Amino acid sequence: MVKEKITVVNKSGIHMRPATELSKLAAGLSSDIKIISGGMEVNPKSILILMSAGITKGTEIEVICEGETEEQDLKILLEAIAGGLGEE
Amino acid sequence: MKTWKVKKTYSRGYALGPARIIEKKEIRTVYDKITGDNITAEIKRFDEAVEEGCRELMELSGKSEIFAAHAALASDIALREGVENKIKDKLMCAEEALLETSGEFVFIFESMEDEYMRERAADMKDVCERLLTILSGENENPFEGIEEKSIIIARELTPSDTAKMNLKLVAGFVMELGGATSHVSIMAKNLGIPCLTGAEGVLKGVKDKDFIIMDAGAGEIFAEPSKDLIEEYEEKAGKWREEEKRLRESAGLPSLTKDGIRFELCANAGNPEEVRGAAEYEIDGIGLFRSEFLYMGSDHFPTEEEQFFAYKEAACLLKDKELTIRTLDIGGDKELKYWQLPKEENPFLGYRAIRICLKEPDIFKPQLRAILRAGAFGNVRIMYPMITSVEEIREANKILEQCKKELEEEGIPYKKDIQTGIMIETPAAVMIAEELAKEADFFSIGTNDLTQYFLAADRGNEKVAEIYNSYHPSVLRAIAATIRAAHKQGIKAGMCGEFASDEKAAVLLLGMGLDEFSMSAGEISRVKSRLRETDYKEAKETADNILSKGSVTEVINCLI
Repeated sequence: MVKEKITVVNKSGIHMRPATELSKLAAGLSSDIKIISGGMEVNPKSILILMSAGITKGTEIEVICEGETEEQDLKILLEAIAGGLGEE
Repeated sequence: MKTWKVKKTYSRGYALGPARIIEKKEIRTVYDKITGDNITAEIKRFDEAVEEGCRELMELSGKSEIFAAHAALASDIALREGVENKIKDKLMCAEEALLETSGEFVFIFESMEDEYMRERAADMKDVCERLLTILSGENENPFEGIEEKSIIIARELTPSDTAKMNLKLVAGFVMELGGATSHVSIMAKNLGIPCLTGAEGVLKGVKDKDFIIMDAGAGEIFAEPSKDLIEEYEEKAGKWREEEKRLRESAGLPSLTKDGIRFELCANAGNPEEVRGAAEYEIDGIGLFRSEFLYMGSDHFPTEEEQFFAYKEAACLLKDKELTIRTLDIGGDKELKYWQLPKEENPFLGYRAIRICLKEPDIFKPQLRAILRAGAFGNVRIMYPMITSVEEIREANKILEQCKKELEEEGIPYKKDIQTGIMIETPAAVMIAEELAKEADFFSIGTNDLTQYFLAADRGNEKVAEIYNSYHPSVLRAIAATIRAAHKQGIKAGMCGEFASDEKAAVLLLGMGLDEFSMSAGEISRVKSRLRETDYKEAKETADNILSKGSVTEVINCLI
């Protein structure tokens, strides 16, 4: 299992569009993925759960990957989150 | 004739025409339980409905990207999981399981603080309704049969509803629910269709095909009006359409006068939500961010953290554009529920604004620290209200320096070179404007208080309301003297009172040399269009002439 913390940069946090991006990305990876935000476990494969978590800009979240390609998957997710999940 | 009045409006314009009432079928909420043998079939029925819903939505996604997002919600794994569990464990049918599960998410979204997220509850409901319609096997279009341009009246409209409409036949929207960021509001704004939300009680009083007049700017709705009223509003509507055409032509063009002098246009805002709305207009920034909202909308003094988040959000929304935050301006007519000040005989001449802040460092310092910290995220400026002396600004800046020192020691990022300006709204400040300009980085003239103090007339008092007039020569000369003093010391002078959005006044102020005009976002395009048609040299001559007049009557005559 690998994990790393990262800060959300999207100006309105993880709202509909970034949540859609993140969930699509997560669904395409083979690792078991969890996100921890504010002590809560969030399933990143669900847009509804991601939006319900109310992750605002500047929130530090922890991304956890487990599986054969965990290193690679974690890197992909961290890069996407750091890059604003498709938002400028 | 029946009339309604909506308090908060987010739209402008007029619409006249027959009403078209859109009533949607009540959603059934009571369903029979299924039997254990049917579990697999019921889950399959749900999956098929989702598949069909996504197919419909992807077809619609060419119309608006919102539908692609809806497709993603319909096929969300958490929704699927919730429905499956409820069918299996509680023997609910697919409809009931869907209603329950989507209801849980609606509840979460509706209880969120962010207005944007609250509106997402409407998206969830829309998706749920679409799937329910598919599950029920019924499918009819409530918009069928609209033949002439009508005013659509409904409890609430979803993106799925508006996708079914022929928008060419929509003269206006009247919704009983919804707000500025609801789907219909945004769509109507983009299309330039007048729209009123929050029009409670309209459905009860209006029948299909009743003749309706709506004035979206004033928030008024008339059903079955008199002939005279129809004529009056037809004329208003005609003028508005011409005006709109003129504004569309100036939108996107630079803020320059006919002879190429640049002017700055900013918006006033009271909270991050309003900043978000204002950022959609072409603005140079927020010229007045009233920080009171944080204090008045709370049940305790907002903490440094709470304030920091609000200011930071506003700063980030504006990117590099200026955000001028006015420090706490309470007292006068603005009170806090949780901090009772003793009753004063003359509250407007009493303990208010900067006077309170300088005496109460426990209130002032958290705010200054929050603003300084938010400054690390954008182009933030501080503005002190109600300044009457050089000592006050020095004292305030001294406290600001203490806050900077503390943040430095704590290793917290902040804006080191933050600009500090003052409001010019007292006669005292006008008389010593030059000395104040040496201490301040910018001026912002607050005409509402300035007029009241200069003329010694309370504008809320009907008996003296006619004395209160910002066109009084004393007020105009005070404004001119303030701008001159600012320019002499090399700083900019702006205005954030209502006067700046008065088209005639704006031309006069431009002629006096005002650098920045700050007003409600909705007024900006009107003022911009007017100033773009103005020649600065001519405006200056007119201003000089007006400043030489000694009576209100002469001033008004020169303006026409």
